[in-house]
Amino acid sequence: MARGVVEEHIGMGALATGWRPGSVLCCVGLGSCIGLALVDQDAGVAGVAHIVMPAGDGDPPAHFAHTAVPVLAGRTVAAGARREDLVAILVGGAQMFTFGSGQQIGARNEQAVREALVQAHIPVVAADTGGQSGRTFRVRIDDRVTASVRTTGQAEKQLSLDQLVKQTGTTSDSGASAVPNRRQTTSEMVN
Amino acid sequence: MTPDHATYSPLQLDALRELANVGAGNATISLERLIGKPIGLDLPQVELLALDEAIERAGPPEAERYGIVVPAHGDFEALVLLLIDPRGAAVLYGAFGLARDSDESYSMLAELGNILASAYLGSLGRFSGMDLAPSPPQLVVDMLAAILATVLLGDGVDSDRVLFCDSQLSVEGERCNVEMLLIPEAGAVGTLIEHLGV
Repeated sequence: MARGVVEEHIGMGALATGWRPGSVLCCVGLGSCIGLALVDQDAGVAGVAHIVMPAGDGDPPAHFAHTAVPVLAGRTVAAGARREDLVAILVGGAQMFTFGSGQQIGARNEQAVREALVQAHIPVVAADTGGQSGRTFRVRIDDRVTASVRTTGQAEKQLSLDQLVKQTGTTSDSGASAVPNRRQTTSEMVN
Repeated sequence: MTPDHATYSPLQLDALRELANVGAGNATISLERLIGKPIGLDLPQVELLALDEAIERAGPPEAERYGIVVPAHGDFEALVLLLIDPRGAAVLYGAFGLARDSDESYSMLAELGNILASAYLGSLGRFSGMDLAPSPPQLVVDMLAAILATVLLGDGVDSDRVLFCDSQLSVEGERCNVEMLLIPEAGAVGTLIEHLGV
């Protein structure tokens, strides 16, 4: 943390990946949009997309749920994650207004992202979605990858990613060996 | 998401600006009636912006804003969004003698938004010959980016262009910044300009 935190703001329809300790990937002011993080805890790699709509022409891919999930997965793997160790965190999808018939866009976004994740075989380990308020989503890469949410009018809170550890332990054989790997990386950083 | 001011001539942009000014004039009269005090309303800047530019223009994404949305239906569908910062809201509360963030103050802000939006839509309707009727306003207090993204995306249809009016409301010498955004449904800015005949 002491080595200068670089916070990258991910705008609507954009995505970014991070693997350097100290980097922070951030979606500021999510309303009906979804901030999707794909994390490989063992590799210490994360990718975040700021998804705006359920479906569309796929340009740019991170704008639409159905194209954002596979593209973000690919980019996160390219940054050093293992495809089978990826887990997902979802934040956003609020319904802030009630006018019109179609203001369910937040819920539709969440549903579309979840469907795309099922298709991609990526489990969701944490979510903070729905409601009527905007949120800011931060994913920090340090010794471990952590995630936090600040909802309008509330203090920033950490998302519990405990299940994430359980997931990597049970879903594949890499879980057991990857923990020492991470320790190794940690000690390298200290040196 | 491509900014193409080039598609609209300076004359057309002037026409949109002029509409906003006429709307502001009408709104001033209604507001003075509501507040019971003389007010000033200036529109120093009116611009046609692409979505992402509008978001950038409005301020820091996480900043707190009072957002008042007035949907309009008729010959074309549009939304009017007014953004007021907490300082500006405090000025308005003071002018009305209302407690901060009470039900009364929220309904006053919604009514204020209604007046401004209706006046603007009224002048737009008269000049373009199109019929536009406002629906009841909705107020939210939230992060700027969250309000904007949610409003601009509306029914999930990307709106192409946003008419962004910076306005300054002054009540008894105290200034209150109000940003007014007219967000037409995709393609509606073109329809509007066609009707204006410029």
